[in-house]
Parts: sequence; structure tokens; C-alpha cells
Amino acid sequence: MGGAVRPGGVPKCSVTDLQVLILALLQGVSELFPVSSLGHTILVPALLHWTNVHRSNPTFLAFVVVLHLGTALALIVYYRARWSAIARALVASVIRGRLSSGRDERIGWLLVVGTIPVGILGVLLESPVRDLFGSPAPAALFLALNGLVMFAGEALRRRQLGDPQRADKPIEHMTFAQSVFVGFAQSFALLPGISRSGASMVAGLLCDLDHEDAAEFSFLLATPVIFAASLLETRYLVAPGAHIVLAQAIAGGCVAAVAAYLSVAFLMRYFKTNDLRPFGWYCLVVGVGCFILSKRGLLS
Amino acid sequence: MKLLALLLALVFFVLGVFYGLGKINFLTKSGTAHTHHISHLVLCWILALLCLIWYRFQSSADTVRR
Repeated sequence: MGGAVRPGGVPKCSVTDLQVLILALLQGVSELFPVSSLGHTILVPALLHWTNVHRSNPTFLAFVVVLHLGTALALIVYYRARWSAIARALVASVIRGRLSSGRDERIGWLLVVGTIPVGILGVLLESPVRDLFGSPAPAALFLALNGLVMFAGEALRRRQLGDPQRADKPIEHMTFAQSVFVGFAQSFALLPGISRSGASMVAGLLCDLDHEDAAEFSFLLATPVIFAASLLETRYLVAPGAHIVLAQAIAGGCVAAVAAYLSVAFLMRYFKTNDLRPFGWYCLVVGVGCFILSKRGLLS
Repeated sequence: MKLLALLLALVFFVLGVFYGLGKINFLTKSGTAHTHHISHLVLCWILALLCLIWYRFQSSADTVRR
């Protein structure tokens, strides 16, 4: 599955068309489903023995940037009306110099405050954490842990529902401290195998949001983070050794964007009536399975 | 609080400049190597901007109180 080589000896591309397609689908879906995209981009290539697909390959890193941009654009397009209203409300509130009781403005500031912890921790800790845990065995263990966290979140949520003192509230009724809590939970996704949307959804549920609102807040909170992270990593597109093929990059970005758009549309319908437990089972089974395979030397 | 907001904005701005110039390398991937830390610069300047917005809200609140 290695890259083709031109007659002159210069690698044409070190990622094949099939790999681009699979990676794009994987990124678009797993970034938004609470199953950890980072964990899957480590485990799936290891399962398929793709020796050319790893984070020290500049071409692979360049593709990851394009795929993230596609995912972020899909989220922006899906929530375009909401983002437009939030942006206008935020600008108006800064010009006015005070907070109002408007729903969009309140959600906007909650998102700003919630993005601060993941922004700081992401910039400071992303590289050391990936260097430390960016291999199949830890990613598989964290994926299993991600499943347990979702089960624990659902159990705590059911306990909350039994408490007559507590009731579900809309996103705009969250406090800024709760938004920081959700943002902090999201930053656990720096660990390969821990899902960004899963961690922030569980935190949202613990802050008395229902599943639909927790998912929406999680996706809104993830959008600036994914977009900013991919913009900051655009340097990999022109890095020495990044033999990126434009057609492949565009195709990969488009596939990731379509997959992400369909995923968020599906999940917003799914969480109207369902919970996180099926994803918890998936993460637990796949995580434990991959860990056993890695210990038997079956993951490259 | 107004003073704190302004002071923090200044600190983050200067910190960003130093990271951008590669003068400080605290908590960076390159460790002791003096390179331009663009991510850290952007983060510091965003935090500085948020502190300025905080300052703006505080100033406006003072005006309303008067």
C-alpha cells in the first residue's frame, strides 16, 4: 500500500487513493461520532498494516490538515444560521459594552469561555501528549476508557433525572463555570482514543443539558477548535517531503466534509430520542479488542 | 478588575511577541530550540484580545453605575 514512485525517483504520493478515501470517511464520521477520530486514525492504519500512514510522514500530516478543514467547513455549513446569529450578537455586545439576555449572545459567550481551556491545553500539551500516547496500545486503552466514561455519564444522568430538584435546561441557561467545565472535558480529547464530542457531551449531560442540547453544544464548541487547529497546521501542506496531490487533497477534503455533514445531521436526529450507550459499547469492544491484538503483535 | 484586565492584556500581548520571536520556549514542542512559535503567539494574542473585551465590559459597567 506504499506510495507510487515516478520514473525520476521522486515519490508521486505516499498516500494511495484508497487510503485517502478511507481516511476521509474515517475522519468525517469519527470526528463527530463520540468514538475518537484521533484514536481511529492510529488504530485503523495499524489494523490494515499501512506502514506509510503515520504521523512522521509529512504527506499524511498534510492530508490530515485537509481532512480537518473539510470537517470544520461541514460543521460551519450545518450550523451556518446559528453561527451567523452568534457572530452578530457577539459583535453587537462588544460594541454595546455589556451583556444582554439574548439567547444567541449568551450561547456565543458560553462558547468563547468554553473554548479557552481547550485552546490553552491544546497548544501547550498536544505534541507531548501525542508523542507519549500516539501508538496503538495506549490509543486502544483510551478508547475503551472512553466507552466507560460514556456509560458512567449515562448512569449519572439517570440518577440526576430521578432528582426532583434538578431539571433539564436549555444551553443558554448554563453558567460560565459550566461552560469552562465542558471545555475542560473536551480537552481530554488530546489523548488518542478519548472522543472530543463524547467527553464534552458527557460533561454537558452532567450540567443538566438533555442529549440533543449536549450534542449541539458539543458540536458548536468543537467547530472553532477544529477550524483553528487545522489553520495552525496548514504549514504541513507546504512542509518539505509533503508530496500532496491536489486532486487527492480536494477529493479527500470533500469526502470528509460530506461525511461530517451527514454525521452531524444523523447525530442531531439520533440524540433527540437516544443516548450514548451504543457508542460506549462500540468503544469498549473495539478498544479492548485492539489492545489484545496489539499485545499479540498483530497491529503494526 | 479593569486594571487587572488591562494588565493581563498587556502581559499576553508581550508574551505573544516573545513567543513569536522565539525569545522564550517555555512549554513548546521545540524545547530549548529558539524557533518562531506561531501557535503560542496566536494563543497569547487571542487571550490578550479577550482581556481587552473584558476591560471594555468593565468600563461600560462603571459608566452605567455612575
